[in-house]
Amino acid sequence: MDEKRNELKKIIMDTKTLPTLPGVINKLNSLSDNDKSSVQEMARIVSSDQVLSARILRLANSPSYGFYRVSTISNAMILLGVNVVKSLALSSSIFEIMEKNSVGLWEHSLGVGVASNLIATKLNLPECEEIATAGLLHDIGKVIISLKCSEAEQEVRRVIDQKRVYMREAEQEIIDTDHAEVGGWLAKSWFLPDKLSEPINCHHNVAAAGSHRIKTAVVHIADALIKASGFGDSGDSYVPQIQQVAWDILKLNEQIIADIVEALEDKLVEVKNFSLELQQGTDAVAY
Amino acid sequence: MQKIPLMVAKAGMVLSRDVFRTESANGIPICGKDTELTDSLIARLENLNIQSVYVEGHPVWTEGDLSLEETLHDLDNRFEKVRHDPLMAKIYDIYAEHLKRSLGESGGRKAE
Repeated sequence: MDEKRNELKKIIMDTKTLPTLPGVINKLNSLSDNDKSSVQEMARIVSSDQVLSARILRLANSPSYGFYRVSTISNAMILLGVNVVKSLALSSSIFEIMEKNSVGLWEHSLGVGVASNLIATKLNLPECEEIATAGLLHDIGKVIISLKCSEAEQEVRRVIDQKRVYMREAEQEIIDTDHAEVGGWLAKSWFLPDKLSEPINCHHNVAAAGSHRIKTAVVHIADALIKASGFGDSGDSYVPQIQQVAWDILKLNEQIIADIVEALEDKLVEVKNFSLELQQGTDAVAY
Repeated sequence: MQKIPLMVAKAGMVLSRDVFRTESANGIPICGKDTELTDSLIARLENLNIQSVYVEGHPVWTEGDLSLEETLHDLDNRFEKVRHDPLMAKIYDIYAEHLKRSLGESGGRKAE
């Protein structure tokens, strides 16, 4: 059984075969590792890719982030932070495929990004934008599985239909791993910071998270709330169990959740319209 | 809250969002939220080329919109694996309450 898992891991760790990563991201990575590089320099690199810049700005101005007035890449870098822009560059590259192939998953991810941001803001947590990015990327493993193993993915969908199980359980049965672990591998191979890779890897098992357990808990709860409101389509339609450890670590209570649900449902009307507009204008978007 | 085309807006509906000159929330709002729409206000918004507004409740129903019962039924299905858990039962109640408030009685579908 382990064979399948290792094989899959090898496929995924081999980032060279990932068609989606523009060279800009590698340049950005090497620049941000270098202490001497300035924000302007990095902004210039990103700006050199027009399509990518457009997509980054589009995401930065999306309801997930709510920075309505970000109009230049260097503004985005200063306002959101270099790491956020880096992960935005990543997610916008990934999401381009997602938008076309799986509108449902794109909406689910966007929703979880929004919900993560709302929860983090409501609880006054630091690094709200990073948490929103983690939420946006939490199901990235599903994209990769469908890209790299489309046959297995169809099998997974068949199992969900027949056995009425969570997608995670179906994935375990077919490919011997699940989208959270796959997403974790991917995040590692892209050298994403732990504060992003941990929530991706552990969003179904908060207790397994290490130093970023709070961020992981937020994404875990956000995922459950978005599934509860039936927004988007993440592969199966069942609300997952919220883990007690996540509930406790965030010191949640019913009233807080009720407030968050109220604000979230309100915001989701906007997100839905944002998504519809994108779908209408995907061809004309590289302004 | 519902986003509706300005064409179907009617006097008496209440704005739930500020109305801006353009779709993006940039610049100065031209009409504040909580404003009750009147015929003359709607005509003015039309003149300003506003396409759509957000209004309180769910006043406009189109084909394909689910009734409250259908929506609650869907909610039941989504929670079928976790309803037995006390924490999740509470979350279920929060969502059911929210749906009843936004689709039910006051803002809800009127008998046709």
